[in-house]
Amino acid sequence: MSTSKRIIGTLAIPVIAIVIMEILCLGHGQHIIANSKSFDNFVVYTAIVMITTIALSINLNSGRFDFSLGSMAALSAVIGAKITYALLQGGTGSAPLMLLLTVLAGIILGLISGGLYVILRIPPIITSLGVALIYEGILYTITSGKYVMAEVQNASLSKFVGTWVYAAIVIVVVLAFVIIVFDHTRFGFEYNALRNGQKVAVNTGIEEVGNAVICYAICGGLMGLVGFFNAARNTNINGGLLNFGSIAIMFTAFLPMFIGSYIGRFCNEKIGFLLAAITMSALNSTFAVFSNEVTASVQSIINAVLLVAFLIYLNNEKLLVKILSPKNK
Amino acid sequence: MKKKVTKLFGIVAACVLSMSMLMGCGTGAATDAPASTEAGSETTDAGKTVKIGVLVADVSGEEAQGFRSYYENYVAANYNVEFDYTDALQSAEEEKSAIEKFASQGCDAIISLSSSDRAMQIETCEDYGVYYAIASGVLDDEQYETYKGYEYFVGQVGPSNETEFMAGKAMGEYFKNQGVSSVAMYGAFIPNPMHVYRAAGVIAGLGDTYGGTDDMGAIVGQIFEDQGVDISKVEGDVNLVAYLQGYGDTTTDELNAAIQKNPEAFISVGMATTFFTQPLNEAGIPFSDIDSFTSMNGSAIKEGKLCYLAGKYSSSIGPTFALVMNAVNGNVIRDSEGNAVSFSQNYLVATDGDTFDTYFVSDNGDAPIYDKETLDSIIGEDVTYDDLAALISSK
Repeated sequence: MSTSKRIIGTLAIPVIAIVIMEILCLGHGQHIIANSKSFDNFVVYTAIVMITTIALSINLNSGRFDFSLGSMAALSAVIGAKITYALLQGGTGSAPLMLLLTVLAGIILGLISGGLYVILRIPPIITSLGVALIYEGILYTITSGKYVMAEVQNASLSKFVGTWVYAAIVIVVVLAFVIIVFDHTRFGFEYNALRNGQKVAVNTGIEEVGNAVICYAICGGLMGLVGFFNAARNTNINGGLLNFGSIAIMFTAFLPMFIGSYIGRFCNEKIGFLLAAITMSALNSTFAVFSNEVTASVQSIINAVLLVAFLIYLNNEKLLVKILSPKNK
Repeated sequence: MKKKVTKLFGIVAACVLSMSMLMGCGTGAATDAPASTEAGSETTDAGKTVKIGVLVADVSGEEAQGFRSYYENYVAANYNVEFDYTDALQSAEEEKSAIEKFASQGCDAIISLSSSDRAMQIETCEDYGVYYAIASGVLDDEQYETYKGYEYFVGQVGPSNETEFMAGKAMGEYFKNQGVSSVAMYGAFIPNPMHVYRAAGVIAGLGDTYGGTDDMGAIVGQIFEDQGVDISKVEGDVNLVAYLQGYGDTTTDELNAAIQKNPEAFISVGMATTFFTQPLNEAGIPFSDIDSFTSMNGSAIKEGKLCYLAGKYSSSIGPTFALVMNAVNGNVIRDSEGNAVSFSQNYLVATDGDTFDTYFVSDNGDAPIYDKETLDSIIGEDVTYDDLAALISSK
């Protein structure tokens, strides 16, 4: 594929989408990014969506659907918040300490989830459903079903998500980490081999169990990051997420995952996820401009319609190319 | 994107939908297991322990926690009583299920702080022969007329709907007098009636109209009909630039959208101090709330941007406890016409830290406004309607 085609393919969706949204906003007398606060929100939201999307794609690309991602985010955030509050009472340094503890808790929760998967040897979708229920139950027990608020309402956390700087740093670090780990290490090569042909890869001596457990641990760590950002942004953590109430955290990543994977045909897939997250964040900012006209429920419908439309396109892509190709005209 | 992934997604989506439908067939977990939160390890009165079930919709808010602490930590320590709290009730079905559980567990009375469907609550308690009282709120006039003669409905103590409207109106007037020209508004949990009346009051207090009117009944009727505040119907000198209500996955985005519209003030009819203090402080937007006098709200008014708080005090639910205790002990107090009693309570307003402290310190920990000595004056076989009325009006 030529370089120009790669560049066009990579930027087409985000650029076209943002141009359309900016035109809509201008028609309303505003810009997508209305002011500095709007830009802060834009970058923080991009970070949340990008990290969730990467976490979701790691296992899904290997045929392992993980329903427990949302519960990992919520539970790790509560663990990180409670310990941090016990140590610092919401004082200076709460944000970096909670960030560290939440990611560590996420990694441990991911390891447990992965461990159960490889020990039980039942389909990952079933295991992840069970793990999600267990983690939600633990979350509920720790919080008594209440919102966790005092632990995450402090100036340190507010400042962390009150500026675009920290979120941008996290985006760069996470992107660098996943690109290095999945594209430039032995683990990454084995992951890609298993992803593209599990049987052949295993027959060549690749250790599937270890690879899967590490994938779950990385996903857990990433969801810990998401849990931290959500807690700081919402200034609370919902402790009453029972009966798969945590799944919504994960579902926000479906549309960007498909968009990112599509963009990944023209560039590194992880860059695709970043561009997809930027597109979704622009959509979120556009909704903010139209918040008085487009209600939250309508926004959810629009997101769902976009997801279905994109899936229809992906499933009929070859047919569309055939119909639109010059030979058929 | 590989096709197998899209196919897998389709299968998973179908599974999720199926599970969602199956889960929807059952009742929520909240009602399946009323939280066993009894206290009262230390009792002072002899005899059978009175069991009281408490219906709550909010388990996290400052006001809700203050109420709970008063019943569980103060009242239960001074009377031979156990309080069983529900988890957060989110629907009429959950309320009904919780009452049935309480009745089957032998509760002597139920106090309601949940208002999804109070008419149904009264009827269910009547069916099970369990005494029922409303704390910190009242029925609307029509409902009260319908149910005031029910045998097991002992009464209601809380701000009347007119009081709620006036509390909202005073809050709106405060900002109008400050010269504010644009505001954002949080409608809390509209269509909860108390929030509807407060929101209507805010609009009237700002000097605005809703659907062309500033009459309480007309605004309230329209808000109930709209199930929220329709921003396009608000007209007047003070511009309502953003409105949000409820709390869920999208609330943070809605709040951020409201902040981006640069309102000069953020007016809430409930729970803003619980959910939004930090982001509003960060954005530097003065805000107001109708909540209660708790330590967190104290910090918000002294160190943050909370500039107006209309509040109840935590022990204001004391008289409701007295009502049900009397009923359980055989003294069902009725008004002069033989109906369930109805008492209105007013709000206290603080616009600075010193005023806040005046109310907060006088209703705190071991020395609440409705302390044991005060409650003892309205609990007993000789207590009358007039005794209750005199005490409540004096507080």
